[in-house]
Amino acid sequence: MKQLVVSAPPHLKTPRTTKRIMIDVVIALLPAAIMGVVLFGLYALLILALSVLSAVLTEYVYEIVAHKAWKSPSYFLDFWKGFDFTSVVTGLLLGMIIPANVPWYLPVLGAVFAIAVVKMLFGGTGKNVVNPAVAGRVFLFISFAAMTAYPVGKDFGLFAVYAPDNIVTGATPLTEYLAGNTVQVTKGMISNWLFGFGMTGCIGETCKIALLLGYLYLVIRKVIKFWQPLLYIAVTGLFAVCLEGFDFTAFLPSVLTGGLLLGAIFMATDYVTSPKSNLGNIIYFVALGLITAGLRKATGIEVVSFVILLMNIVVPLIDKFVPRRPFGYVREKKAKEVTSK
Amino acid sequence: MNKYAKITFNGLIQNNPTFKLMLGMCATLALTTSAMNGVGMGLTVTIILTLSNTIISLLRKVIPGSVRIPAFVVIIATLVTIVRMVLDKFIPDLYEAMGVFLPLIVVNCIILGRAEAFASKNPVFDSALDGLATGLGFTLALTILGIIREFLGKGSLFGIQIMPFSIGFFSSAAGAFFVYGICIAIFTAIVNAVSLKQKRRKALNFAAPFFPRR
Repeated sequence: MKQLVVSAPPHLKTPRTTKRIMIDVVIALLPAAIMGVVLFGLYALLILALSVLSAVLTEYVYEIVAHKAWKSPSYFLDFWKGFDFTSVVTGLLLGMIIPANVPWYLPVLGAVFAIAVVKMLFGGTGKNVVNPAVAGRVFLFISFAAMTAYPVGKDFGLFAVYAPDNIVTGATPLTEYLAGNTVQVTKGMISNWLFGFGMTGCIGETCKIALLLGYLYLVIRKVIKFWQPLLYIAVTGLFAVCLEGFDFTAFLPSVLTGGLLLGAIFMATDYVTSPKSNLGNIIYFVALGLITAGLRKATGIEVVSFVILLMNIVVPLIDKFVPRRPFGYVREKKAKEVTSK
Repeated sequence: MNKYAKITFNGLIQNNPTFKLMLGMCATLALTTSAMNGVGMGLTVTIILTLSNTIISLLRKVIPGSVRIPAFVVIIATLVTIVRMVLDKFIPDLYEAMGVFLPLIVVNCIILGRAEAFASKNPVFDSALDGLATGLGFTLALTILGIIREFLGKGSLFGIQIMPFSIGFFSSAAGAFFVYGICIAIFTAIVNAVSLKQKRRKALNFAAPFFPRR
């Protein structure tokens, strides 16, 4: 017969652990990653795998060094028991926001920087100030020229071997549109944008349908609130319309091209680096949208990752001035009226 | 440790202006994109610091306390102007590379700090030695930062290309802060480890007569 369990409270535990949420995010990212491999060939798969592997390995090595695991060898295995999948998410996201024709060492460097410097040096999971994947991308973007040459999807087949000279690179539809070339918005154009055929861009961001599938999955699993990415996307589109002098043809190109969907769904909604309160979240996402549209117009390049990095740094300030309502707290106003009577 | 060794040790390691006191960061972060710039800036500051410490120490009984800062600035500014003219004439490359940071040495907090904290209270030779040691500590720090940033950011060392691969991040301002922070951490860790060992040895020596070994 089983004995009664004696333990300290809390006794009820939710199944919503960090590990489970992170696995949900990985599942939500998979359609876009698979479409990236279909569009850009097996070399894209190599980049994704390298990015994930080096992210996980970096965390493992860092933890081993930090815990001095050679003194208590059981830690070598204990790490994998307590392993939450945050570094897998970081690695996968990082792989998805770099172009497919970069040399193999770029995702490795980016993942090492993202995990070791941005995440672990600040205290590990839940303590990072900025989103590690975004910081990794920005690190690569300002370091290497290869990050700005985007290959054309469906241009080099599934089994093409990496050969940077043979790949046709071009401006993304977004940069073309920002450069002032009028983009004829036709039905075929929109379906191309949605499915990513013949489009230039990063591995994970070209196929918008797959990203929207991931969005639906995350909303159904209640990992993110449905209005958060929508607010970001809508504000970006509408402000772009305003900046173009109320030209509503600017809405679709500014929303459906570039990395806006990926950034809005998967990176801006990161729990650690977004405000805690609802009002704070509204401020955060509206500011993200305004700055994205404004900076895109001003600089003529894709700035979503930079804007998310910028707003992540502002988040502690937002949290300070818009505090979260404590659980079970009722506003004092009514209570005071009752007592005065 | 005698007095002079202590002053030297203080300036180079214990009160290293860059890694310990974190003074003069503006020039440190901006000029360490290459090792040569770091060495040049460090040596320029060393010369000015030694001369200004000597002169201020000579005049320390003449300068009244209420106007000491303007007096220090006049002395330092004169020295900086002379060094600027010399550099412009004889090492124009370095003069170009240092740009606006050369005249800004006038308000460099290391020089004013050493004048205020040391030279205005101590005899001439001590002050000159202190200026030299602090300046060399500054040069050491700038050279280390410059070597790391040039090697990673441009793939070269003192202008000689070593490897074709380079990470542009380390040449940018963000990379400067990153490398600077890591260097401070490593430097502090080494100094702490060494001083802890010395303290332990002293304590053991002190306690040895009370606990005789069998």
